[in-house]
Parts: sequence; structure tokens; C-alpha cells
Amino acid sequence: SVYGVLLFLCLLDVYKISGHFGPPGKPKLTSCRSPEKETFTCWWEPGSDGGLPTTYALYYRKENSDAVYECPDYHTAGENSCFFNKNDTSIWVNYNITVVATNALGSNFSDPVDVDVVYIVQPHTPENVTVTVMEDKDGPFLRVSWEPPRKADTRSGWITLIYELRVKLEGEEEWEEHRAGQQKMFNIFSLRSGGMYLVQVRCKPDHGFWSEWSSTTYIKVPDYFPRETSVWILIAVFSAFIFFILTWILNLKSNSVKHCLLPPVPGPKIKGFDKQLLKNGRSEEVFSALVVPGFPPTTSSDCEDLLVEYLEVYTPEEQELILEEGKDLQEGCLKSKGSPSDSDSGRGSCDSHTLLMEKCGEGEGKEEKHQERAQKGKRQQKHQTGWEEGDVSHTREDVLSPDMSEGRVKTWPSVFSPLPQYSSRPLDHQGSLETARQLCLSDSLFPPPSTSSHLSYNAKEGLAASGLQLPGFRSTEYVEVQRVNQEDMVILQPLFSSSCQRDGHLQIGQGEDYSKVKGVDSGNMLLLQREVEVKREEEDGDRYSCDIQDRVTESCYTTSTAASSQVTGKPTSCAGTAMPVQEEMVLAANGYVDAATIRQQEMCQVRVETKTHSNKG
Amino acid sequence: MAHRGSQATTLYLTALYMLVSCTAVPVNDLLDRASQRSDKLHSLSTSLTHELDSHFPPIGRMIMPRPSMCHTSSLQTPTDKEQALRVSESDLLSLARSLLQAWVDPLLLLSSSANSLPHPAHNSIYRKIQELQEYSKSLGDGLDILSGKMGPSSQYISLLPFRGSNDIGQDKTSRLVNFQFLLSCFRRDSHKIDSFLKVLRCRAAKMRPEMC
Repeated sequence: SVYGVLLFLCLLDVYKISGHFGPPGKPKLTSCRSPEKETFTCWWEPGSDGGLPTTYALYYRKENSDAVYECPDYHTAGENSCFFNKNDTSIWVNYNITVVATNALGSNFSDPVDVDVVYIVQPHTPENVTVTVMEDKDGPFLRVSWEPPRKADTRSGWITLIYELRVKLEGEEEWEEHRAGQQKMFNIFSLRSGGMYLVQVRCKPDHGFWSEWSSTTYIKVPDYFPRETSVWILIAVFSAFIFFILTWILNLKSNSVKHCLLPPVPGPKIKGFDKQLLKNGRSEEVFSALVVPGFPPTTSSDCEDLLVEYLEVYTPEEQELILEEGKDLQEGCLKSKGSPSDSDSGRGSCDSHTLLMEKCGEGEGKEEKHQERAQKGKRQQKHQTGWEEGDVSHTREDVLSPDMSEGRVKTWPSVFSPLPQYSSRPLDHQGSLETARQLCLSDSLFPPPSTSSHLSYNAKEGLAASGLQLPGFRSTEYVEVQRVNQEDMVILQPLFSSSCQRDGHLQIGQGEDYSKVKGVDSGNMLLLQREVEVKREEEDGDRYSCDIQDRVTESCYTTSTAASSQVTGKPTSCAGTAMPVQEEMVLAANGYVDAATIRQQEMCQVRVETKTHSNKG
Repeated sequence: MAHRGSQATTLYLTALYMLVSCTAVPVNDLLDRASQRSDKLHSLSTSLTHELDSHFPPIGRMIMPRPSMCHTSSLQTPTDKEQALRVSESDLLSLARSLLQAWVDPLLLLSSSANSLPHPAHNSIYRKIQELQEYSKSLGDGLDILSGKMGPSSQYISLLPFRGSNDIGQDKTSRLVNFQFLLSCFRRDSHKIDSFLKVLRCRAAKMRPEMC
């Protein structure tokens, strides 16, 4: 028997060592909950049982006593639980709870847990959840109502519950959650017609845990016609109606609409240009059609319209200076380029800036200087002011009125102006063309240009280029074109240096600056007297020698290629107007030169009428 | 004659009742406001204890004083629902006011030592303590007004002096432990206040049964 006991013990040890049996594992208290703040339940989790039947016991201690009590009820709440009824539950008291697992081989204590019942409240789910469909002016809506869980005493205020519900359509994933506060009823709007809805409710005490969701309540929304849709249908029909009306109107007025939206592109309007010809015919036909008989103007009357009269002043030895001047002219011409075009018809040569450009071009490289061409249609020279303003227009009517015609100022090409200033030495009588003279405009007959412009002109053209002083005027000999009178006569007047200026009075300058025009010889040259006497109020003795360029040529420049033919044709027309040179007139007391006529070799003639200007008292 | 007399008194009482009820903010409204404040007070204290618990030394839980050591534990309060519902309104109010009054000084201590608390979230803790003080002050004022309306017995306040020192400890652990202990005591007391006021609210809300 002893051996039997020893064997038994050995076997036991063997089993122990092999791990089949052992004391129980440590149990663990999982949670304690109170549904209504009056009772509570604790659950535990058993550890390993060690292979042997294990018993569990729960012991607790209340906060202000050391007495240990065992769980009063292990069964009401189920397996591994302990239920504390109302009598055993105290609130605002800490419970220290421990679970002990015991088996044959030992026992094991769980970790103690401190519990205050008021902090572990988790109510049951709300009860009696009812959902009804109700009607409203905007459509149907759901009314959800419920009741608090039976056990929770909300009437006395012992427990305060707040509620929450959630809704979703059948088949959807996401719930739509709503907080309902302390109320026991909730409305849900914006329902889908004919949809099946699922509703759930849960609750929570003011300081506690959320209950479980109540069981789902199903509700079907009846089919209804949403009022909003009917409004939209009405709007759609109305807009369609309007649209049809507009389309019909648009159709009726399609042409005018087309015209408004897509205006016709203007085609080329070239006189004589025929699109059909271009498409069908040959190029020669097209171009020949372009030639309009009336253009360019070839008649003498047209010639008068074209214009410019020039006084050429020629000085051979001053070519370099002229070259310099030419540059200035270039600049000056460029300045005057801005002449507005008036029409498509041929413009006067004086209008044309190309004319000026030509002149400028000539001035650069030409030896001969600027020629004054007098023609029937004489224009006023107002080169200074005109130069400033840069435009040339010529009409016969403007002869006497130096003001703007058609808004433009008459101007002589600036070619004239700079030349005479440069000659600082006495003029040579070399051949027909001699020293350059400056033709100054009398300011009395013209609206005086601004002094500044006058001066600036001089400064620009004369001084800038040559650097000579203004008093250089004195060394040059001038004939002043006073005006062009109605009979197409250029009225010249010898000019003293001081008088080539603004004040507009004919002043008689000093001595050697001026010369009288003796006459015009057959070679269309102005013969001038050499002597220069400058005295006022001397009638006969004053001779002014102005070395004036003798040859006055008129160039009728036009922009058309037919100009040359025009020019050549001119003398014939102009010749008839030649007046005999009146020599006595030429010798004017005060040195004014009226060149009666200047015949031009091949050009239109400028009738230069010299008039004596007497200062007799 | 007696009939007419009873009629007259009924009429008189009705008129008086209506007059009284029409004058100031009704009591149930005041109670509603008060219970809202007490609710907020308790929520704050709960969040504070959780925040402090996040970085609490485990050893501290071992040496934590028992809840019976709270300075307000001497005040007799109901321990279950039947007891609580048997307490009169005035007593309930008195209890609430006493508890609230007992925490004025300890909150000052908590506030002053919150900044130097050896805890990572001491700034947030300090701010919450400040809030606690504000809510506590405003609730106290409201309850004073309420007690004026509810009769003389509600005026009585039990004195619960705070005997703790002006210092919550020297070393880091003891400071944390003492701080947490004070907060746990406050948490419970604020819950009591809240519960009493909500019971009072439901008792006064005869005209709004749906709230209770």
C-alpha cells in the first residue's frame, strides 16, 4: 500500500511536470455595468483552469469599511458574472472587487478593480420604437417616437437620458445619424418616394455609456409626386415654348440677323478693277481696265492744282554746304512728312511729301540748287512757317491769304531756306548761277510765324548745319519774296539782313546784302545789279545787288509718272502768259525786284513780278 | 357663508400664485440652468482626471489615499436612489451648496500648483482648472438665488473646511498623487451636485413632464 501511495504520488508529480494539471490561471475582471444606477453586474474572464475543475469567487470591499463580502448572486447575470441588487448597491461608494479562481491545486487572485457605480451606467436600449409616415404641405415625412428603457427612472430625474437615432434606405451602406437630445420624438424629412427606410434608436445617460442600438424598424414611404418636380416641369415646358418662338422669329429674320452678326466683308474697290475679269480674263485686260482715263490729270488746270513753285537758288561752290544742308533738308523734309492725304485723287505736288523727299534727295547730292519755279498757279511761300508745319498745299485762292487752306499751311519746301545762310562771303557772279540767296518771306503779308519758329528754323537749318551765325544774313544777299499776287506774280523784295525776320516790316537793310534785279534775260535769268546800297527812302540810288539765282525753274512735280510729260507740256501753256520784262520796273528805287516774267526753258514759267517798293516819305 | 369664504380664499390663492409665478425667472428655469452648469462642471472634472491619468506613475496608484479621505466625506449624502428621492428639495439644495462651497479653497490650491505640475499636459490642466473655477463660481451664485426662492431651510450650508496644507507635496510623485487625489474627490462631489440638481429640476418641472 505504501508503494501504491508512492506510485500515485509519482504519477501525480509526473502529471504535474507534464503540465496537464495545475493551479488555475489568473482570472480577469472584464467590466462592471449598471443599467439604471440602482444595480450593477460585474463579469470576469477565467484564466486557464489548470486542467482541473475550477471555482470562481468574487469578493468585494466597500470603501469605508474593511469587511470583505462575497458576491451575492452568481447566476442572474449569467456565466462568470456577479449581480449586485438594489440592496447591495451603494452609490458614491467605491467598491474594491476581486475574483478568485480556485481548483484542487491552488487558487489565483485577479487584480483588484475599483468601481463607483455612478460612473459605470449603461442603460438598456430604448423601447417601443414606432415610425409613422405623416403628411405635410411639402410632402411626406417620418415621425419616429420611442420610450426610455423600462428600468431607467427618468421621471424622477434620477437618471437623465439623451437619445440618438439613425436612418438609412434599404440597400444603402451609410447611416444618417441624428441627435435628439432628451426628447422622445423626431421627424425626418426629404424622403424618397416609395423608399423603404430602416430606423434605429439608442440612448446614453448624462455621464455614462451609450446603450446598444434598438432593433431595426422598417417603414415604407408611399409613392408621391414631389411638388418641386411639377414646378420644374412647368418651367421646362415654358422655356421650350419660348425657345420655339425664338427659333421661328430667327428663321423669319434670318437675313437681317446674318447681316448683323456677320457683316459683309468689304471687297476691294479699285476703280476699274473687275473681279470677274481677274477670274476669267488675262492680266493685261485687268491692268488695262485699271487705267482710268482721267488719271493722272494732264490738263493745265490740273497742273495748276499741282503745285509748287520753286525758287532755285544756285551756288556752285557751295555744293558742300548744300550737301550739308541737304542733310538738314532731309531732316527737315522728314519732319514735314506728316501730311495727311486728302483724297484718292492726285495730290498736288506740293502736297506730296515725296516731292519734298525728292527735293531733299536732290539737295543732298545735287549740284544745282533749289530752283524756284513760278507758274501760273503760284503759291505763297511761307516756308518758314510752312516748314514748321510741314505741309504744302496749293490752291490758287490761297495766294493772298497766307492762312491755312484746308487746314494746311502752305509751305515751300525747305530746300530753299538753308542755302543762302551759309554764304558768308560776297557773292560771286559766276555764270548764271551764283551765290545763293535767301528768300525771305515778308511777314507783313503773312501771318507772322512765331518768332521762335522763325528763329528756330534758322537755327535748325542754317546754324545747325553750318554753325554760322545768324548775322550771316548780312553777308548774304537776299531777295525776299513778298507775296504772290493774284496775277500769279511773285512779288519779290530784296531783303536786308535785319529784315529777313519777323517783324514783318519791310526793312531796308544794309548795304551789300541786296541787289536789285536788273532784268531777266533771255536765258530766264534774273539780272541783278551788283551794287548794294542800303538806305532807306532812297529811291533811285539804291541798288541792291542780290545775287540771286538767275535761273528760275519751275518744276511741276507730281507723283505720277506722267509728270514729266506734264512738265514738258507746260511751257507751252505757260508761255503765253509771259510778260515782257519791264526793265524800268526792275530797277526799283528801293531795290525791290519785280521779276515780270521769267521764262523757263522747259518748265512752266513763273511770272516774277518785281515791284518797286518805294519808301518815299 | 363658508362656501363663499372658501371660494374667496381659492380665488385669492390663485391670484397670489399667478402673481408669484409671473414675477421673476421661474424656479424650474433656474434649476434648468443650474443643472446645465453642474453638468458641465462634472464633465470638466472627468476629463481632467483622465488627462492626468495618461501620465501617471503606476506606483502612484498604490499609494493613492482612499476616497474616504476626501475632506467632504464627513457630509452625509444619500447612498442610493430611495434615500436620495426621500430628501426634501431644500435639503438637496443645501447639500449641493455645501459641497460647492467646500471646494472654493481647494480649487485655488489646484490652480496655483497646476503650472508647476510635473506633467506634460500641465498647461491644458491649468486652463481646465481655471474653467472649473469659473463654472463653480457662477453655479454658486445661481444656487444662492435659488435658495432665496425655496425657503429658509435651503439657506443652511454645512461647513466643510479644507484641512489640507497649502502645498500639494515636495517630490514629483507625491505632487502628482496629491493632485490626482484632490481631483478624484472633486469629481465625485461634482457628480453629487449634478444629481441633486437634476432631481430638483424634475420635481419642479410639473409643467414640462416631457423633460423628465
